Amino acid sequence: MGKTDYYDEYEIQVHLEPWSELESLFIPIPSKYVEEIYRSEDFLVLVGPQHPGSGHMRLIVRLHGDIIKEVIPDPGYVHRGMEKLAENRTYIQNIPLVERPAIMDAPNYNLGYVRAIEDALEIDVPERAKYLRTILAELGRIGTHLYDAAILAIFLGHSTGFMYPFAIRELICEAFVRMTGARVTTSFIIPGGVRKDVPENVLKFVYDATFEIERRLKPFERIFIHNPTVFARLRNVGTLSKEDAIRYGLVGPFLRASGVEYDVRKVEPYEVYDRLDWDIVVADECDSYYRFLVRVNEVSQSLKIIRQCIKDIPEGRVISEQISENGKEIRGELFDKLANVVLPKGEYTTLTEAARGSLIYTLVSDGESNLPYRLRIVTPGWLYLRGFMESLKGGRLADLQAIYGSFGYFPPEADR
Amino acid sequence: MDVIGIDIFGIVSFLFNIFKSNMLNIPLLKPLIDFLMGIPILNLIVALVLWRPFFGVVILPGLTGLMLYLLWIVYFERKLAARVQWRVGPIEVARPLRGAIQALADGIRYFFQEVIVHREAHTPYFVQLPILSFIPILLPLAFIPAGAVVGIRTPYALPLTVAFISLIPIFVIAIGWASNSRFAFIGSMREAFMYFAYEIPFVLAAISMVYVYGSGDLYVAVEKQTIPGILLNPLAFIVYLIVMLMATSRLPFEIPEADQEIAFGPFVEYSGILFGLVMVLAYEKLYLMSLLFVILFLGGWSGVEIPLLGDLVAPLVLFIKAVVVISILVIVRAVYARYRLDQAIRFGWSNLFGLSVASLIFGIMVGWLM
Repeated sequence: MGKTDYYDEYEIQVHLEPWSELESLFIPIPSKYVEEIYRSEDFLVLVGPQHPGSGHMRLIVRLHGDIIKEVIPDPGYVHRGMEKLAENRTYIQNIPLVERPAIMDAPNYNLGYVRAIEDALEIDVPERAKYLRTILAELGRIGTHLYDAAILAIFLGHSTGFMYPFAIRELICEAFVRMTGARVTTSFIIPGGVRKDVPENVLKFVYDATFEIERRLKPFERIFIHNPTVFARLRNVGTLSKEDAIRYGLVGPFLRASGVEYDVRKVEPYEVYDRLDWDIVVADECDSYYRFLVRVNEVSQSLKIIRQCIKDIPEGRVISEQISENGKEIRGELFDKLANVVLPKGEYTTLTEAARGSLIYTLVSDGESNLPYRLRIVTPGWLYLRGFMESLKGGRLADLQAIYGSFGYFPPEADR
Repeated sequence: MDVIGIDIFGIVSFLFNIFKSNMLNIPLLKPLIDFLMGIPILNLIVALVLWRPFFGVVILPGLTGLMLYLLWIVYFERKLAARVQWRVGPIEVARPLRGAIQALADGIRYFFQEVIVHREAHTPYFVQLPILSFIPILLPLAFIPAGAVVGIRTPYALPLTVAFISLIPIFVIAIGWASNSRFAFIGSMREAFMYFAYEIPFVLAAISMVYVYGSGDLYVAVEKQTIPGILLNPLAFIVYLIVMLMATSRLPFEIPEADQEIAFGPFVEYSGILFGLVMVLAYEKLYLMSLLFVILFLGGWSGVEIPLLGDLVAPLVLFIKAVVVISILVIVRAVYARYRLDQAIRFGWSNLFGLSVASLIFGIMVGWLM
């Protein structure tokens, strides 16, 4: 199609054939499918890879009028080959690596990996370390839920709903800084405990911060959660029934929002979750609003857990005797003690409840090398992608953003 | 002076006499104006600027007022949203003024940016339409009166202004068509749907005020407002307020431009100064609608008397009232999320339409009583 003959006549030209330049662009669907859509009354819209959500991902949306008929995801724009990278690093060097998929949720990712090593080496973790790990994991969960709430708000065009959670999240970051020394990717949990003991005054700060978070969530609740426009946008949108949610393999808060009472922290308790008093948040309404509300209520459950942990935390060492004689700090001997760890031959799998759902680590060791033979990470984002795509069907184009936000889909997490 | 066969001096003196016969009366500046009128070339310029139709259209409440308002409202809206959101807002440009000339800096940046016209665009229309869209913005300014200052005085000022405001979406839809891209197409369609949803309530609310005042003449409307129009017909006031939000893509109804969904819709392909022009289109429309709003519901330019400023008081009062109304209105951006298209259309055709019909009946009753 030359330039001149297109402009000479002022008439609308409908290009039934895809333009020749477009053929060179990569779209992960057969060109026949594209041509079929061009010939029918449907409309193909490519959402992304750049869009105002979190990370990069392309959605190929087939529209009939304003109604979504089919959505084909094109993930992988932020794939970093994490599993392959892990095969060339020692077990201890992998800790900062495996935290990277979901930066705000780093403690949960850290915890799952470290527990796989501890399973293999049969290390008993001291009580105080278990409590500290639980506090960190729950702080990470609150941070992630706030982050997702902010992204949902900006998807709905609500800029105040975006700013408030990010401002509240600063308290989580500050708690991380005081406990571990880093704002997001803390790398604080090591096989056999945590890097160093957390002093009493810092735990006091975290305890106070939980109340401050609760106080600051009130205006957010007023302006965003109970906002009639937000309710109108999310209620009865992207509904997934209980059966569908199980069939498409949803995980975490999204599964619980569809009425399935499943939480790894209750089913296979790790750390000190079985000793604490908290509830699984479940909703039966199955739509986007309740997917969001379940996570809002999980924030208050997490705050409850953190307060209990800080009240109950025992004195004592934070690093197991099997790792170090000094039970209070690993500094100066981290590499001496842990760099040449060799796992016994076998396959070790752990299941962790990360903020967005079940996180699976499988560590395969050949029993000779100090590098893992294979590390398999299955992130919650990857698990609920199918359910996310199914829930989009039948919605309107404007619902795509609302459902995207309600799932808190985070491409770096899913792509690893 | 008969140089090229035309009596230039005669034409100039003829124009000068026209300007001079209808000049603004400002007692405060009278000595200065008298002095300037004594200087040959300068007196022509002074007479032109103070000529009432010219002053109304180009200075206040016309083009200059519009530009001042744009500089203020873009800054104020960002600052207000920032205050709600626990932030500071624009502050770096002119720090002593707390970033007050941010909008001007943005405008200059737009001006020197490259304007990219993509290959698929319908080039002539794509480039012309942002500039042509000033026609329906500037024409109503000639009919909106401010006391003694008015471009064209006519008893049909209200219908004319409403008609010109209703023309603006046509340009937006044309812009989306000329952009020839998917998102621009979806944005144009959304604009068209929204247009029909709010236009009828808007016209009905305006007509109900015509019934209340018994005339489409805006002078009559202001004279009759011993009780402000907001109390004479509160239903029309509510309808008009919501329509202002819908018509100018304010946030609960920011559907045609939804940047998270369709990346500014009809304006997605624009860059540089052309984007600057289309971006302020909604703000300009808001200014026109709020001028009309102030005249219909808030007593127009009446209420304040400063003898020293003479004829200048009316345009100033009208301008300040309009800017205050908009400054209150922009807070919705920080409070509401965006409705979906079908929800907004349903609202427009059911609740808003019903309310506007009720306001029409109410207006007829009030007009009959008055």
